[in-house]
Amino acid sequence: MKIIVKTFATLREIFGGTGMLYLELPEGSTIEDLLKKLEEQYGSRLDISRLVGENPNVKVLVNGREIMYLDGLRTRLRDGDSVAFIPPVAGG
Amino acid sequence: METRSPSYHQSQVDKLSPRELERYDRQIRFLGLGVEGQLKLKRAKVLVVGVGGLGSAATLYLASAGVGLLRIVDDGDVELSNLNRQILYGTSDLGKPKVEVAARRLKELNPEVEIEAIRERLMEENSGDLLSGVDLAVDCLDNFRARFILNDACVERGKPLIHGAIYGIEGRLMTIIPGKGPCLRCLIPREPAEQERIPVLGPLPGVVGSLEALEAIKMLTGLGEPAVGKLIVIDGMDLSFHVVEVRRNPGCPVCGGK
Repeated sequence: MKIIVKTFATLREIFGGTGMLYLELPEGSTIEDLLKKLEEQYGSRLDISRLVGENPNVKVLVNGREIMYLDGLRTRLRDGDSVAFIPPVAGG
Repeated sequence: METRSPSYHQSQVDKLSPRELERYDRQIRFLGLGVEGQLKLKRAKVLVVGVGGLGSAATLYLASAGVGLLRIVDDGDVELSNLNRQILYGTSDLGKPKVEVAARRLKELNPEVEIEAIRERLMEENSGDLLSGVDLAVDCLDNFRARFILNDACVERGKPLIHGAIYGIEGRLMTIIPGKGPCLRCLIPREPAEQERIPVLGPLPGVVGSLEALEAIKMLTGLGEPAVGKLIVIDGMDLSFHVVEVRRNPGCPVCGGK
């Protein structure tokens, strides 16, 4: 299945360009699987612990809903889902 | 340094002069505001912390809207690299204290409002004094540390805070009403690393600072619904606005029990 990944701010810089990525994942994959896939592809540039730790600063959204209020890292993804990673920013 | 105007309008907070009626005509015509709303703005006192990119847009709109008193706080001087986004300032202002130039510019824009220019850096020690007497605060800062100081001081004193921030081609906005919705520490539980010289396209702080001014005007006049518990994420790359639900963190060390 195809998942659309949208990254913001500093994370967008890690993934480069527009912040839009398209990932192919097996049916039934979860956010955790998606993170593993991202880590495989982007390796050390992606600080996974920042995304998945307790009280994370980075908001992880599936179709606009934060995973904290879904099933967390075990939130199941479906074909065409859009996953957003939104870190906090400080510019003014 | 403080710039105080003659407070002739202060004795007249219950009515608008013919000049004020004309100056604010187009917003008074707005159904939700009217003369009553304009008088609320005239009686209002607002603290704006930071007069950089966000603060330029926010203070220009708050002053032009007729907010009775603006207390502006910043310890910086105008630098050349500010001028792609800090629209309060011009090339001839380089090296001058921002709050002094800002106060002059805002007074010129609207002599009916009072501007208190305070050339200080926000710290825990002065946060109480800076918040004293104001109806709400507007976060136009440029780093996490100062934002948390402002957030904590506002939560402690029950003052509404309008949070705005930008990065690159993106913006963020959330209105904080202590006790009613999440605070900045609920939104950002762990203190992130600070970054110097944050990249930014000038229109972004213009958009977010303008929206902060709008939230302030709404709060002061009771208009509409403030963005409490909603993080507005603006992405200029595809011009999308995302509304992310943010809940109070019962374990928040700052507002959890309040």
